[in-house]
This record gives sequence, C-alpha cells and structure tokens, in this order.
Amino acid sequence: MKIFITDGGSYSFFTAVFDAYRERECIITSDENVQMSFDSEIVRVETNYNKCARVQKKLLKYDSSAVDDILTVLRSCDSLKEQTAFDYIKRLMEQKTSIDRAYNLPEVIIFNELKHKVTYEVHKMSGFLRFMECDSGAFYAPYSPDNDITDMLMPHFAARFRNERFVIHDVKRKIAGIYDGHEWLIGYAGEAEVYLSEYEKVFQTLWKKYYKAVNIKERPHEKQMKGYMPVRYWKFLPEKMDG
Amino acid sequence: MHFYIGAGADSAQKRMIDERKLEILTESAKYDVSCSSSGSKRANKPGGLGNASFGGICHSFTPDGRCISLLKILMSNECLYDCEYCPNRRSADVPRARLTPDEICELTINFYKRNYIEGLFLSSAVFDSPDKTMELLCETVTKLRRVYNFNGYIHLKGIPHADSAIMMKAAHIADRMSYNIELPSEKSLKLLAPQKSKQSLVAPMKELKEAMDYDRINKVRKNKVLPAGQTTQMIIGASPESDGQILKLTEALYRNMNLKRVYYSSYIPVVKSNKLPAVGAGLLREHRLYQADWLIRFYGFDVDEICGAEENLSPDYDPKCAWALKNMQLFPVEINTAPLAMLLRVPGIGSKGAYKICEARKFGKLDFDNLAKMRIVLKRAKHFITCKGKFYGSDSFEQVKTSLMLDGAREMQTQLSMFSDSSTALSVLTGEL
Repeated sequence: MKIFITDGGSYSFFTAVFDAYRERECIITSDENVQMSFDSEIVRVETNYNKCARVQKKLLKYDSSAVDDILTVLRSCDSLKEQTAFDYIKRLMEQKTSIDRAYNLPEVIIFNELKHKVTYEVHKMSGFLRFMECDSGAFYAPYSPDNDITDMLMPHFAARFRNERFVIHDVKRKIAGIYDGHEWLIGYAGEAEVYLSEYEKVFQTLWKKYYKAVNIKERPHEKQMKGYMPVRYWKFLPEKMDG
Repeated sequence: MHFYIGAGADSAQKRMIDERKLEILTESAKYDVSCSSSGSKRANKPGGLGNASFGGICHSFTPDGRCISLLKILMSNECLYDCEYCPNRRSADVPRARLTPDEICELTINFYKRNYIEGLFLSSAVFDSPDKTMELLCETVTKLRRVYNFNGYIHLKGIPHADSAIMMKAAHIADRMSYNIELPSEKSLKLLAPQKSKQSLVAPMKELKEAMDYDRINKVRKNKVLPAGQTTQMIIGASPESDGQILKLTEALYRNMNLKRVYYSSYIPVVKSNKLPAVGAGLLREHRLYQADWLIRFYGFDVDEICGAEENLSPDYDPKCAWALKNMQLFPVEINTAPLAMLLRVPGIGSKGAYKICEARKFGKLDFDNLAKMRIVLKRAKHFITCKGKFYGSDSFEQVKTSLMLDGAREMQTQLSMFSDSSTALSVLTGEL
C-alpha cells in the first residue's frame, strides 16, 4: 500500500490527491512518523501546481465551497486531517453533487467535525485573544491555538482595529500575523521582545478587579466555566494568570 | 502613531479610574442577567475603533459559569428609589460610587483594545431626576460614539419616567436597549416597586418598537434605531403569579413588543421585608421557564399548549416532554417522512437535530444507527419515533413516563448543584433599574 507523505501544506496535499486518486488503497498524510505495515511503500509528494489546479477545478464543479472547506480542515491539528479530507473528496466524486449536508455519511460526519473544530476555535479565539499595549503604541497578542488559525483571525481583527498596529503571535507554530494599520501578512516569528506601555499593568489590574467583581461567588459552577473556556487557554488570559 | 484616541482622554485622567469604584459599580450591576452582544452588524468607520459581531462573542467566563461579553457597569448606584427587593435601594446601607462619562469611555476603549470585551452595557441607579439620569447616560454613549469613535456594541438600560426625546436620542446611538418590567404583574409592581409604574416601563418599550418598525418599513439603513432590538427582565417568585401567567406575558412581549429576549431571574431573599417571601424560587423554576420560552420562540409552540393560565410547569419533566406525554396519540412519528414542524416537537430532538435529519434524509433513508452516528440524542426521542417503520422505544406508557421522569430528576440535580451554598446565595435581582 502506498503512503503519500506531504509537506503539510495545501498545495502538497492537492498534488497528493491527484497522484493518489487512481490508487485502490492508499494513505495521504503529513505525519512523518506514520505507522507502517510490511507492504507499505513511501511516496514523497512533489508539489505540482498544475495538478493542484486540476484537482481544485474538479472539486469546484460539484461543490463551490469544497475547496474552502478542505483548506479549513487542513488547518486542523488532527493527525488524520489529510486522510479525512481525501476520503471526503473521494465521496464527493462518487456522489457528483455537494455532500456537505449529507449528515448521515460517515466521511461527511468526520470531515464536518474537523471543520467545526477549526472554525469554532477561530470563533473562540476572537473572544479569548488578549492584546497588550506596547511602548510603541502597537498591540501584541501571544497565543497557542490547537489549530493553525492565525490567518483566519486576521481579517476579524483588522476590521475591528483598523487604525491600530498589532501582532498576533502563534508561539507554538512560531508564526505571526502582522497588521500595520493598512494591510496584514503572515510571517515567521520565533521569540518576541516586548516592551509594555506604562499603562498596560494598570488596565490589566482593572480588568482582573472587574473579573472578580462581576462573578457571583455564591453560585460556583466551575465545570461550566472550564467547559466553555478550557484550562489550556488560560495562560494567556490576565484574569486567569493567578490561577 | 498617536495611541490615545479622542479629546479629553489625556493620560492624567486615565490614572484616576479608581479600582474601588469599578468594583462597587460592577458588584451592583452583576445581577442583570443579560450579557448578550449579538444581533447587531454595526460596521467600523474610517478612523474608528471596533465593530459588532452579529452572533455575539464571549470574551471570558467567570467561575459561576457565566460569560463576560460586555463591560457591565452602573454609572452610579446612588438611588432615589426605594424598591423593596433591590440591594441598592435608597434606604440600604451600602457603599456608593459614581463614574464620569469620560471615565466610562476610557475604560470601555481600553478594555476593548485589549480584546477583553465586545462593548459596553451601561445602566444606572436613579441618582438624580429620571430625566437628568437618562441624559447623562445618553451623553456618555454619545461621547463614546462621536468623540471616542467607538463602533463596538452598546447596550443601554432605559430609565423609567425619563423624557421620551432623550430616550429616542439614545436609541439612535445604542445597539440594544432594555426596560426591565421587573415583576410579572402590575399589582406586584405597585406593591414592591411603588415608584415605577407599568406605564413607565411599557410606554417606552412600545415607542421604541414603533421606531424600529418605521425603520424596517422604510428600509432605513443609516443611523438605525436599536439594530439589536430590545430585551427585558423580570423577577420570578417574589410575587404570586403562576408560570402560565408569566408565559402569557412573555408571549405578548414577543408578539406585541417584538422583544429579542425576555430574561427571568429567580428570586432569593437577600432583603428582609414583610412584603417579600422568606424563601427563594429556586433555579429549577427559572430553568423550566427558559425551556418554555425556547419552545415559544423556536419550536412553534403556543403558550396554551404548554401551560394553562393558572398552572405551573411540571418540575418533573421538561415542558416538551410534558406536552408529548399529554399528546401520545400524535406519536410515534416516522423520522424519514415527518415534517420539520413535527420533528421539532419530538422530546430530545433539538432544532439543530431536526434540521440535520431533514437535510440528511434527502441522501437516503435514515435508520436508528444513522441517527446515533449523527449525534442525535435518542434516550428520550426513541419513545416517540420510528425509523424506517421500526420502533425502538418502550410500549408501556408507564415505563416511558418513569424513564423521562428519571431524566428530569437528573436535570434537576445538576441545576440545583449550581447552588452549593444556597443559604448565602444572593438574589439574581437587578441591583438597578
């Protein structure tokens, strides 16, 4: 059985789909440590933009949102994301019509679940991201999302803070979205050196006081709080830094 | 680049926002149930800060499980009124504080830029005449929009008895306004909040509704009145009204006033008074009312189907189960052919589930296993449906009742465990108007 290994990017994935489509049984993955059996044959995918375009064109023929949906799923942190997207594509080719609402098909259920996890995290982060005001007047927000969503967050904040300069830094993936007050772009960013403005601590303190005061402490319901706001997100929230 | 937006926003003033004041005015505002930031699509403007997200965004969650979406504060908790149930009433001995319009604007802008909040929920005790109080609230939000160029979400509480011209001015600035009707009947209002009249709460609601109707009919796009509409809140269990009466009132508010939400807050005694009951209403009653409220808004039920005028909702079952048990002749329904309206009436199937079933069955007939894989919860639903003609529930009506009742009991327990310390639990009364 052939195992197609991609570089994790979407072009590599669509190329792999082109190459793998005629195979009777195969796996597409970006996971270098994929489990192999005795008959496995590793194929390293070489990105080919022509093949990508052909695959995408075919997908769009049946479903105008399929490519976007697949691009969303490919941002997932799930190690089976490529295979999930590939199974979805095969099913779409079989049905020859949009299947995103075929909620009973197993390929669609898994695919939609991954898609939901990514878009839901984008929604959550539009609330949980925390900016700090820097000495220069720019704002800096470090975070560590489960999925690779920085460029999905940028349009939201660029519309909202259109006159500000800000950086959203995914410290786990070492990438940053940078907005200069006009345009945004995504780039590599390892360590950031941040000098806070003299007021930053003042407002963080006011926010912590507010957070404490607005809680009705006679009605604890921590389980619900943690359900909506998972503990792994807390380390970037000023109101949660003290535990 | 200059960071501080707006006139009068110099740094000296920033330092003056007093932590203690913020605490007092937050403590006083926190019992207002509403925290939603949804319903408005306000866009940002050149040179402006912020926009509104139609679905609303939660920015944090407090240990009581509630979400923080807006900066919810009172401008002042100094009150001329003496409402029986209110911790901030004139005769109460509590610390008082007041913030200036600029302090409120500064706080909002700086919290917003750090992405702590979606916007401002501003309310106030009546510290001066109703007109003067409303005027200062209006001045604050106007300043926030015009001077600080803020285009995020603003929810403003209306002050009863204030001049309607000031109210209309505010309604062109805010995304949402609310006049809390406080109690489910005029009689109770007279007894417990004698300085407010039904008229002073309902008349502004009606006027705002008419202004919104005007905008809709004339397709007004710019400067719309309250794009996110109006809401209200009432206290449950401080007065003798039945659930049926409360729900009738709710239905009328949705239909006649076009409200977006009616919030309920269950009464728990904090203030000792011979006019108020000594025991609280409990969260279960509030929970059942919300379930019924949902059935009215999203599931096509009329109040009369759920609850008679003098009746109370059953504590044992959720209102949909209670309705289904009384109407067993309508069940079971075939999942592959039942219309959406009927699927919505099956206990255990929610609006999302019903929609998924309708979409999925276009691709082929669904069986019981399909439903389970689609994450439709079948524990209750199985007694009321067939899949490809096959029935998976219990034939005995008594057994169905018992199983649903057990479900209800479990639900009751989780609701009640939210009050681990009910003796000290404060009331969810509005600490404000």
